[in-house]
Amino acid sequence: MPNSAIAQQWDFKLPITALSTNRNGDWVAASMGDGSMRFLAAHEEVKDAKAMDVHKGISLSLKPDADDHAFLSGGDDGKLFIIDPKLDAPTLIAEHKNQWIDHVAASIDSTYRAYSIGKNVHMLNAEGEKHGPALTHPSSIGGLAFSPNSKRLAASHYNGVSLWWTNAKEAVPVKLNWKGSHLGLIWHPDGKILLTSLQENALHGWRLSDNNEMRMQGYAAKIHSMDFTPKGKYMATSGADQIICWPFFGGGPWGKSPLTLGGTDARVVTQVAAHPKDELVAAGYEDGMIVMAPLDGRMEVLIHAPIGKGSGVIGLVWNATGDCLFAATESGTILMFTIESVRKAVTNA
Amino acid sequence: MNQIPVTVLTGYLGAGKTTLLNRILSEPHGKKYAVIVNEFGVAGIDNDLIVGADEEIFEMNNGCICCTVRGDLIRVISGLMKRAQSFDGILIETTGLADPGPVAQTFFVDADVAAKAKLDSIVTVVDAKHLPQCLKDSKEAEEQIAFADVILLNKTDLVTPDELKQVEKSIRAINAFAKIIRTERSQAPLDQILGLGSFDLDEILKHEPDFLGAKDDHHDPHHGHDHEHGEHCHDHDCHDPAHHHHHDHAEHDHQHDSTITSVSLVIDKPIDLPRFENWMGDLRTNQGQDLLRYKGILDIAGSDQRLAIQGVHMMMEGSNLSPWKADAKRQSRLVFIGRKLDEKQLRDGFNLCAVG
Repeated sequence: MPNSAIAQQWDFKLPITALSTNRNGDWVAASMGDGSMRFLAAHEEVKDAKAMDVHKGISLSLKPDADDHAFLSGGDDGKLFIIDPKLDAPTLIAEHKNQWIDHVAASIDSTYRAYSIGKNVHMLNAEGEKHGPALTHPSSIGGLAFSPNSKRLAASHYNGVSLWWTNAKEAVPVKLNWKGSHLGLIWHPDGKILLTSLQENALHGWRLSDNNEMRMQGYAAKIHSMDFTPKGKYMATSGADQIICWPFFGGGPWGKSPLTLGGTDARVVTQVAAHPKDELVAAGYEDGMIVMAPLDGRMEVLIHAPIGKGSGVIGLVWNATGDCLFAATESGTILMFTIESVRKAVTNA
Repeated sequence: MNQIPVTVLTGYLGAGKTTLLNRILSEPHGKKYAVIVNEFGVAGIDNDLIVGADEEIFEMNNGCICCTVRGDLIRVISGLMKRAQSFDGILIETTGLADPGPVAQTFFVDADVAAKAKLDSIVTVVDAKHLPQCLKDSKEAEEQIAFADVILLNKTDLVTPDELKQVEKSIRAINAFAKIIRTERSQAPLDQILGLGSFDLDEILKHEPDFLGAKDDHHDPHHGHDHEHGEHCHDHDCHDPAHHHHHDHAEHDHQHDSTITSVSLVIDKPIDLPRFENWMGDLRTNQGQDLLRYKGILDIAGSDQRLAIQGVHMMMEGSNLSPWKADAKRQSRLVFIGRKLDEKQLRDGFNLCAVG
C-alpha cells in the first residue's frame, strides 16, 4: 500500500472550517478560520489557490449557490454572501447585524436561497429579494435543505423537521415529529425520503408518501456527513469506524443491514463523498486517513495514510467529472487525489 | 489541540453576575474571553466575541432519564471554536432561572464540544441580603448553589455580621464543598474565579488540598478518561420505530421544599473496584436525577494509583492519578451534593465497597 496517492497539496497554515464544490463541480472552495476563503479549479492540472476575504468573523455554512458557478456562505458577522471564484470580491445579499447566520441552502432550480438565524428561516428569490415572511420554528435550526424538485424546504430543529412549500401563499409547515435534536438534513435524490442526523449518534428518516419512518443507530459519533450514490441506491454515512452505507432498494433500508466498508481499526469516519458517476465512496477519518471504497465488494484502496490527532478530515468533495477528489484537514491542508495519481500509487506499491 | 476553558456564571437576577462579567471583560489581565449571554445586560462592552443565545434544553434519547443538554451552547461553542484567532476562555452567563445541570452535562455528552472545550468551573453569585428569600421562593437558587465550585457571596456590606453568618450557614447546608468568597460589588480576585480546573480530574487534588487532608502537587498527565454515557450499542440496524416504545422521560421532582444537602464519606480500607462500580452504577441509575454533583478520590485494592472520579447526574468519569506516596495515609473519600440524600444509606453502600 502506498503511504499516499496525493497529486497535489496546499498548506494554508490556517484551520479550514468547511469544503464545498459549486454546482458545476468545476471549483472547490474552502472557508478558513479567519473568515477568508481559498478557491481551487477542480481539474487535474497543477494550480495555485486563489484567496479572497469574505467574512469579518468566520463562515458558519458554505454551500453550492443557486448560481452554478458560485458559492453561498453565511457567517457569524451576520452576512450572507454569494461568492463567484472568478471575481475579486464576494457579493453581499443579506445582512443581520449582531446575529449569526447558521445555515444556508440554495434550491436546485436556482429560484431560491434560504438561510437561518437561530429559530428563523429567511428566503430570497432569484433576484435576491425577500420571498415571503420569516419562517419561525420552535427551536434553533439544525440544518436546511431544499427538495430535489425545489418545491419544498426542509428545516430541522428540536423534536423534528418543518417542511415548507416554497411557493405557498400561506406559510404553514408540515411537521415531521420525532423526539430529539435534529441536525443534518439530506433528501434522497428521488425526493421521496428525507433523513436527519441526530444529536445522539443516530439517523432518523421519513418516507413522505405514507409517513413511514426509519431510524438507524449503532454509531460511535455524531453523523456529520451523509451522501447518496448517484442514483440513490446507497447512502454513505460518517460516524462509525467503518463507512456505513444504507441500501435504499429492495425494500430497504427497513429491516436491512448496511454495507460496512473500509477499516477495521478504531478510528472514526468523519467525512464521506459518493463518486458522482460510479458506485464508489471516498471516506476521510478522524486521524487523516482517506480511502476509496467500491460498493461492489472489491477491496478498498488506502489513498492517504493516517497522520494523527489534529489532522482529521473535515471536508471531502469530488469534482463534476469524478476524476479529482479534494480533502481538507483540520490542520489547514487541502489534498488533491486524481484517479491517475491513485492508479500510479497502487501500481508502484 | 488544547481545550478552551469554560467558566459558567450563574446566580439569581440582581445578585451581581453582570457586574462580575463586566469586571472580567474590562480589567487589564491581558486575556481575551468569548462571552455567551442569555440576558442582554452587557451592553456597552466593546467585544466582538459576545454572542446572544436563547436557552434551549434538549433531552437526550439515550436511555438516561436525567440527561439534558443545552442545544444553544453546542451550537455557539462549535461556531466559536472554528475561529483561527483564538481566545483564552469562554464565559457563559446563564439566566437567573437557569438549571446548571444541562449546562454541565453538555460538556460530558457532546463529543464535539468536549473535544474543543472543557468546563473549568461553575461560579455562582449570590446576594447576601436576598438569598434567604430566594431560597424560599425558588428551586433554581438552591440548584445554582449546589452546582457551584465557587460561590461569590456578594453585597456583604448590606447585611449585619450575624446575617452574614446565617447566610453562609444556609449555603454550607446545601453545598459543603464550594469555595465561598465574600465580596462587595463582585470585587473578588479574578484568579480565584477563572482557570481553576474544578472539573479536571488531575486538578482535583491540586486545587483541593484539603480533600484528603494532605497537600500533594504531583499528578500524572497521562491518564485515560473513561466517559460513561449509559448504554452503547454498536450494532447497526434500521428499525421502523412504530414498533418500538419510545423512551419516556420521567418527570423531574421540582418541589420547592425538596432540600439539597451534601454528604461526605471516608473509608480507610481499600476499595474493591468492581463492587464500587456496581454500587455507583446502581446509584446513578436509580438516583441520578437527584445526584447533582459528586467527586471522589479512591484507594483501589491492588493498585498503587489513586483513582479520581467525578460526576453530574448520571454522567461519571474517572481517571488514574499519580501513585500514592509511600508515607501517605491511604483513604477513600467520596462527596455528594444532591436532593434527598440518605446519608446512612450512602455510607452503608460505600462501606460495602471496601475489601474484606
